[in-house]
Amino acid sequence: MSLITKTGDRACVSGFARWTTGTPAASAYCARSTPQPGHGTTPSTQLPLYFRFRGWDSLRDLRNIAKMSDIQEATNKLLDVNLHENQKSVPVTKENGTKNESEHLHITIGATVPTGFEQTAAGEIKEKLGSSCKISKDRGKIYFDISVESLAQVHCLRSVDNLFVVVEEFKDFQFKQTKEEALKDFEDLAGKLPWSDPLKVWEINTCFKKKKTKRKKMSQNSNKEKIDNGQGDKLDGRDIRGFTDSALDSHILDYYENPAIKEEISTLVGDDLASSKDETDEHLKEETAPQVLKFRVTCNRAGEKHCFTSNEAARDFGGAVQDHFKWKADMTNFDVEVLLNIHDNEVVVGIALTEESLHRRNITNFGPTTLRSTLAYGMLRLCAPQPTDIIVDPMCGTGAIPIEGATEWSNCYHIAGDNSPLAVKRAANNISSLLTKSQVKESKSSWGLPIDAVQWDSCNLPLRTGSVDIIVTDMPFGKRMGSKKRNWNLYPACLREMSRVCRPGTGRAVLLTQDKKCFAKALSGMGHVWRKVHTVWVNIGGLHAAVYLLKRTPQAFVHSSDQEGERGTPW
Amino acid sequence: MKLLTHNLLSSHVRGVGPRGFPLRLQATEVRVNPVEFNPDFVARMIPKVEWAALLEAADTLNLAEVPREPTEGYEHDEDFLRKMHHVLLEVEVLEGTLQCPESGRLFPISRGIPNMLLNDEETET
Repeated sequence: MSLITKTGDRACVSGFARWTTGTPAASAYCARSTPQPGHGTTPSTQLPLYFRFRGWDSLRDLRNIAKMSDIQEATNKLLDVNLHENQKSVPVTKENGTKNESEHLHITIGATVPTGFEQTAAGEIKEKLGSSCKISKDRGKIYFDISVESLAQVHCLRSVDNLFVVVEEFKDFQFKQTKEEALKDFEDLAGKLPWSDPLKVWEINTCFKKKKTKRKKMSQNSNKEKIDNGQGDKLDGRDIRGFTDSALDSHILDYYENPAIKEEISTLVGDDLASSKDETDEHLKEETAPQVLKFRVTCNRAGEKHCFTSNEAARDFGGAVQDHFKWKADMTNFDVEVLLNIHDNEVVVGIALTEESLHRRNITNFGPTTLRSTLAYGMLRLCAPQPTDIIVDPMCGTGAIPIEGATEWSNCYHIAGDNSPLAVKRAANNISSLLTKSQVKESKSSWGLPIDAVQWDSCNLPLRTGSVDIIVTDMPFGKRMGSKKRNWNLYPACLREMSRVCRPGTGRAVLLTQDKKCFAKALSGMGHVWRKVHTVWVNIGGLHAAVYLLKRTPQAFVHSSDQEGERGTPW
Repeated sequence: MKLLTHNLLSSHVRGVGPRGFPLRLQATEVRVNPVEFNPDFVARMIPKVEWAALLEAADTLNLAEVPREPTEGYEHDEDFLRKMHHVLLEVEVLEGTLQCPESGRLFPISRGIPNMLLNDEETET
């Protein structure tokens, strides 16, 4: 089966302008504490925050609090104050008339996901936001509607790489025949699009991100302090020397992306937005004094019949956008990234909500072939983990998959294994980093996660027969890791060993590989234990790879060799 | 290495088969981490656990208050579940060894990670 090879290209262009801000910073909202599946419309979850924030000093104190462990206490304090405030100010009106509309602002969000995993991403969105997704023909993109309060929750999605807010979608754009006319259409388009709501969303989103970065810096500093104090000392009565030294040395990622602290994000965002009104105003004043917003246009074009290139489209569209808004051009240091996505006759104009991709969130120690977390999540979701499933990654590398598993499916037990001591060490470090981040959660310091690391040989797993429910792994492609020749021996041996440890009847395996030929051959002799159920075609760093979902047949494992005959019987 | 992991590990030295389980545990450094208690998780995990192996391991670690067997109606016995939770998930062996009961082969545990690699002669090629 061949992958769709797109005839397409991508270009970025920016223009000059001045942007007058009509909308004050006051149109900012938060999503409430518990991300609830379904709508964010239940009364208790839709309390917009107003900016007459009394707890000013206490909030300033909070900003100075270095210790992450105090943040939860702070959050509770804030929540109390906020609820109190809301009771007072709800009947009183807001600072600007648009607030009522903004409260119920519904927008369409576009998300880029690993190609092939559109359905799994749609599943996650349905589950966590209650929104149904539309899957675009433009591979790797899905669309869904939310109300703006759910924006913070959208950032917590684990299957999406990048997010953008849709300005307008044209399902069947009639391109003119000549290049000049087609490009003129793009120019004309710029002024006619409904920019105001998406720009509001962009603004809210930017505030949210700014606070995130501030707090990240704060927490990084606080972590470093803790590190210096903690090394060699006892922390909370536990000696963490041996295990966490190297982890603490490694760079600590933005802890907001750990779902263990999702709650904190949502509440803190709103509080921050509220409290920082003064700051934001000043900030905006700084920005708006010279009155310049910087932007660029990124155009992705795919399709055979276009008479223009993405460069040309971006240039002309960007020029018109610039004229319309009077923004300033900047390719690298932009505030607003306008997206122009063209796929055959489907044209979508959007504004980007993410800068760096969300996909490297859990991994602090990279290896040569570290898997994207979004891909790891997609693979795990594919095998539908049930509570208390034992999930094993026999070739874990840096542990991307088990770590994603332990954070998202914490009611399962995860084991990360690899034969390389370096890989296992990196995996253990990544696990420690997770633990460091999850210290913040609740008032109890939750140090442990249901995950362990073992050094082993995947062709000779030191596991009881039939004891594992799910095997998920990224098999060596034979390109950057291992070799194609090695795969000819490795794959059959691995598949055989996996079938031994996997629980007959209910067990399943999700395996990613680019060496599809070798895999098919290895699998062909194993029809009595493995049944291929589904294949997802994916793109890994330009390589056309596949994710195979296999089900373990009910047949018990029988080893052909005499010596190991006993080991084959389930016990 | 948590005790739940130990419960799944088995020696794969050539010719040993199911006699490679359970591995004899010896620990020189142990750490106790609190882990969030999920009663449902523990209750469902109990049927999957090999009890004799778990008790043996817990005894070598001198853990107190380890239930000897699942009591009647254990699913609703919070005290029982909490103890099991502690034994399975909260005790971590940082340094020690695992020994194959049949061949005597020792596998080291270092920084919480057991090294189960065998050299070529020991594995079936």
